Amino acid sequence: MNELRKTYHHDLEQAREELARLAALVAELIPRATAVLLDGDLEGAELIIRGDAEIDARCVDLEEACLRILALQAPVASELRQVVALMKMISEVERSGDLVRNICKAARRIYGHDLDPKLRGVITRMGEQAQQLYSAAIAAFVENDAAKAAALDDMDAYLDALQKQFIQAIFESQSGGHIDLQVAVQLAYVARFYERIGDHAVNIAERVRFIITGWVPDHKKPDRPRFDLDSATPEPVAGAPDPGAS
Amino acid sequence: MRAGLDAVPAGIVLADEHGRPVLRNRAASVGGHSDVLVDEAVQRLLAMAVGGQPAEQRLQLHGPPPRVLQIRGIPLAGGGALAVIDDLSERARLDAVRTDFVANISHELKTPVGALAVLAEALADSDDMEVNRHLALTLVEEAHRASNTIDDLLELSRIELGGPGEREEVSVAGVIGEAVARHRLTADTAGVCLEVTLVGAKMVVGDRLQLVSAVANLVDNAVKYTNPGGGVRVSAVAADGWLEISVADDGVGIPARDLDRVFERFYRVDRARSRDTGGTGLGLAIVRHVATNHGGEVSVRSREGEGSTFTLRIPLQEEQ
Repeated sequence: MNELRKTYHHDLEQAREELARLAALVAELIPRATAVLLDGDLEGAELIIRGDAEIDARCVDLEEACLRILALQAPVASELRQVVALMKMISEVERSGDLVRNICKAARRIYGHDLDPKLRGVITRMGEQAQQLYSAAIAAFVENDAAKAAALDDMDAYLDALQKQFIQAIFESQSGGHIDLQVAVQLAYVARFYERIGDHAVNIAERVRFIITGWVPDHKKPDRPRFDLDSATPEPVAGAPDPGAS
Repeated sequence: MRAGLDAVPAGIVLADEHGRPVLRNRAASVGGHSDVLVDEAVQRLLAMAVGGQPAEQRLQLHGPPPRVLQIRGIPLAGGGALAVIDDLSERARLDAVRTDFVANISHELKTPVGALAVLAEALADSDDMEVNRHLALTLVEEAHRASNTIDDLLELSRIELGGPGEREEVSVAGVIGEAVARHRLTADTAGVCLEVTLVGAKMVVGDRLQLVSAVANLVDNAVKYTNPGGGVRVSAVAADGWLEISVADDGVGIPARDLDRVFERFYRVDRARSRDTGGTGLGLAIVRHVATNHGGEVSVRSREGEGSTFTLRIPLQEEQ
């Protein structure tokens, strides 16, 4: 292999590693942001909010590195898919970092308000599930595992169901007089932030499938299965084809 | 050589003269997202070490599982560098236990004594009979609280120093019945339903008093942290030579960050609420010691807002 190709492969590998690191950093920040929210930890909130600027800056650098590879090395086939997918994944990671920051900002806005145990329990579960999705997406990327990546869509259905449960719990807590309207609104945003982090993890996983197999996400696909928390089994949405039907 | 490196508990990464990793043992392998962050730190330190400058970094990861790592980059004489990753998580946990124990014990012992002194002073200065009566009743309450703490401390030290205690065949139904009976009235008053289910086990070898004390502490906690209208379920199941006594409630639950620490002496999940619930902070430490004395263990599963389940697991027969 000549020196030019060696540099090319080294640059490509470096870009992959940097994306994995940035995504891992976001995955690490998700439970920290949950703890900030539950403990009313203003110092922790400040650290995460400030740290987001560093994630943004690293994302810009990584995007430039990908553009350099495209311009100077003109990759083709799987390597072209890799660079194009990396560029898409950078925005997913950057946006996820912003959502983690937003959870901390919400924590500052509701500082001093006590949350009842049910709300705290669902927040904990949403944080755990969002991190699990992100970790699974990273593992699929690092291990080049298309099957693992394909599983994320179904895992996300559980997080979506938790978001609905959380909204229900917010209504109950607010109508029971445990939290005021302003806190309820902030918590509804927080539910949305976790749910969106899960969506970004699914998008990363779709790009991993694209890198490995060339598969392109089907935007016309029927609605995803809905996860029923009460029966703890996925339920097909009415009108969608039943995968179990013969 | 590879097998030898894999047997080392510390993570080891060897880099060439350009700082590129050429060998890593099993403890330094990259898997989950935390490992990606560890690897980033390792590569940064290796790059510094290759330049001839030893470097080290302490990395605290939220996990799960939470980890505290010390990573050192060491320059090698013939070029290249070595990174050593030491897991300090257990040491950090023990440090936290030690530090918090001193703070917690002084809080738990000094608070009632301080309250007694203040109440006695107020009583000495007051001529109003109604106020005096109120102060005297509060004094009695505080004296009982201090007395309960001392009783629990004595019981804990008796269980710790006494070791396994007296071994005899003990009726499982008897142990659970006696423990539940101690808190039946409190549960009824609080509007908490207490249910008992026994499956299989009739007898277990152990110290009856210790076992009753352990189960009673679990039931006491469950009743205290369950809201009126809720339920506490006590069950005993014997299977595969083990007896599992579970106490489940649908109460407030325990935050995930406190789950590993609730069995420590004087550890409080919510110190602000601890005086309302009236416990001494020693109950779960007593349960853990009883479990250990019987060659078993105690564990907890909990979710805030959904409740907690404590499980005491001991062998049915004494180990030979």
